Amino acid sequence: MVTTLTRSREEGLPSPPLVAHKRREVRRYGGVLPYLLFLLIFLIIPAISVLIGAFESNNGTLTLSNLRLAFSGPYLHSFVASFELSAGSTIIAVVVGFLAALAVAATKGRPRALVQSSSSVLANTGGVPLAFAFIATLGNFGIVTKILSDMGINLYAHGFSLYSVIGLIIVYQYFLIPVMILVMLGPIQNIRSAWVEAARSLGASKLRFWWSVGLPILTPAILSGTVVIFADAFAAYATAEALTSGTLPLVPIQIGSLISGNVAAGQANLGNALGLGMIIVVALAATVYVLSQRKASRWLR
Amino acid sequence: MVAVVPGAEGGHLRQAGIGGVFRAVVLLVVGAFFLIPIIASARYSVLGVHNHITFSAYRSLFNDPSFRSSLWLSLQVAILTVILTGLLVIPTSIWVSVRVPRLRGLIDALSIVPLGVPSVVVVLGILGAYHSILNVILTSPFILAPIYVMLALPYSYRTFDTAVRSLDINTLVEAAQSLGASWNRTLIGVLLPNLRAGMIGALILAGAYALGEFVVASLLSFNTFPVYIVQIGLTAAAEAVAVSLVALLVAFIPLSLVTIFGNGRTKKRSVGATR
Repeated sequence: MVTTLTRSREEGLPSPPLVAHKRREVRRYGGVLPYLLFLLIFLIIPAISVLIGAFESNNGTLTLSNLRLAFSGPYLHSFVASFELSAGSTIIAVVVGFLAALAVAATKGRPRALVQSSSSVLANTGGVPLAFAFIATLGNFGIVTKILSDMGINLYAHGFSLYSVIGLIIVYQYFLIPVMILVMLGPIQNIRSAWVEAARSLGASKLRFWWSVGLPILTPAILSGTVVIFADAFAAYATAEALTSGTLPLVPIQIGSLISGNVAAGQANLGNALGLGMIIVVALAATVYVLSQRKASRWLR
Repeated sequence: MVAVVPGAEGGHLRQAGIGGVFRAVVLLVVGAFFLIPIIASARYSVLGVHNHITFSAYRSLFNDPSFRSSLWLSLQVAILTVILTGLLVIPTSIWVSVRVPRLRGLIDALSIVPLGVPSVVVVLGILGAYHSILNVILTSPFILAPIYVMLALPYSYRTFDTAVRSLDINTLVEAAQSLGASWNRTLIGVLLPNLRAGMIGALILAGAYALGEFVVASLLSFNTFPVYIVQIGLTAAAEAVAVSLVALLVAFIPLSLVTIFGNGRTKKRSVGATR
C-alpha cells in the first residue's frame, strides 16, 4: 500500500518530496514570522526613521546640519552633562556594588538569598516613585536634610542640591548598585577555594591574592557590569524628569522636550540627530560588552 | 549539581580577607542607603503641621478621581501588555527550540536589541515613522501596550527562554506526538504546565514594566499612573511621596514573587536532574 501511495504521488506532481519539503521549510520559518514582524514594526522601522531623519533637512534633502547642531553649543553641552552623569554614576555603582557583592558572597545562607532577590527587584525599580522617595529624603525639605541641619550640617548651604547632576548620581545608585551586585555575585562565587589555598600556600598576602588572582579573573565580569550600568544610566529619563522637571539639560530630556513641542522652527529633525547620537553611544557600550563577554568565555574555558 | 558549587558557603572568601569587619561595614552602609529613603518617605508622607502625624495625604489621594482613573488606565494597559507578551513570547520561544533551533541565536540576539535603543528614541522613531498615517491609532492609549511589549522583551523573553532551555523540550514533544497529541494539545497539555514558572515570571515582568513606565506614556500624553504621580508632585509633594511609597512597596510584591518562584523552580529541577 505504501508503494502505491508513493507511486501515485510521483505521477501527480513533478517532484513531490521536494515540494513538500519546501512547504515544510516555509512553515518552519513561518513560526517566527510574527515575532520578526512585531520587532520590524515597533523597533526596526522607528529606528530607521530616526536614522534617516537625522540626515534630512526640513524639505527632505540630505544634510549634515542636524548633526552639526546636535554636537555643538547647548546640545553638545547636554551630551557632556549626560556623560558626566553616567560616568560618575557608573564609577560609584561599580565600586560599591563590587564591594557589596564580595561581602554578600562571603556570607552564608539566608542573607545572601535575601540580597539576591531584593537586588533583582531594585534593579528593576527606578522610575518616578524613586525620585519622590529621594525628594522626601534629601530634597529641600527632606527628612535627612532636616535631621542633618538640626545637627548643624546644612547641605544646601554647602552647594549640594538633589536637583543637580550630583543629586541624580546619588539617586541612580538605588537601581545601579543592585545591577552590579547581580552581575558580580555569580563570578565571585565561582572563585574556587583551591585558588585561595594555592596562593596562600605560595606565601601570597590576602591583598596580593586579590591583586594577582581575584581581580584578573573577575575583570571581564567587572567590565560587562560597567558597560551595562553606563548604558542604563545614560538612557535613564523618568527619574531625572520627575526630579528636575526637565530643567537639567540631559540628552534624553532634550529629546523629550523636542518631542513635546518645545521646538524652534527649522529644528524638526534635531531630535532625530540627538537620538542617533544616543544610539551610537549605547551601541559603542554594547560593543565593549560583547567583546568583554567573548573574552570572559575564553577565560572560563 | 547546584549544591557542589565551589565554595558555595564562601568560607574561602572569608579566608581571603573578606572578614567580619569588612562585611559588617559594607552591608551596614549599603543596607542603610537602601532603607533610609523608604523610612524617610514613610515619615514625610504623614508629616503634618508642627510635626503632627496626619494621614491627610493618603486620604486626599483616595478621594482624587484622577488617582483612580489613571490607575485604572495603567491596569488596563498592563493587562493588555501581559496578554500580548504571552501571545508573542511563548509560541516564538517554544517554536524556535522545537522547529528551528538554527535561528535561536538570531531570535535571542534580537530580544536584547531594545536595551540598546533608549525609550525616548523609540518614541521619536514611532512618531516619525507613523504619525502621519496612523494619527488615529496614536491617540488611543492602548498603543502603549505593544510598545511596552517590545521594550520589556529583553526581560520577558530571556526569562521565558531560560525556562524553555532548562527543559528537555524535544523529548517531551516527541513523546506527546507519538501518543497522538496534536500541536495545540502538546502545547497546552504538556509544555505549558512544565513551563509555568518561566511563564509567570515573564508575564509579571512585562506587567510590572507596563505599570511603572513613564517615558513613553508621558511623551505620547497619556495619563497613566506614573504620569499622574509626576503631575501631583508639581503641586502636592506629600501626596506624591505617599503614592510613590505605596508604588515602591507594591512593586516589591510581584517582583519578589518572580524571584521566589524562579528560584524554587530551578532548585527543584536541578535536584530532579541529578537524580
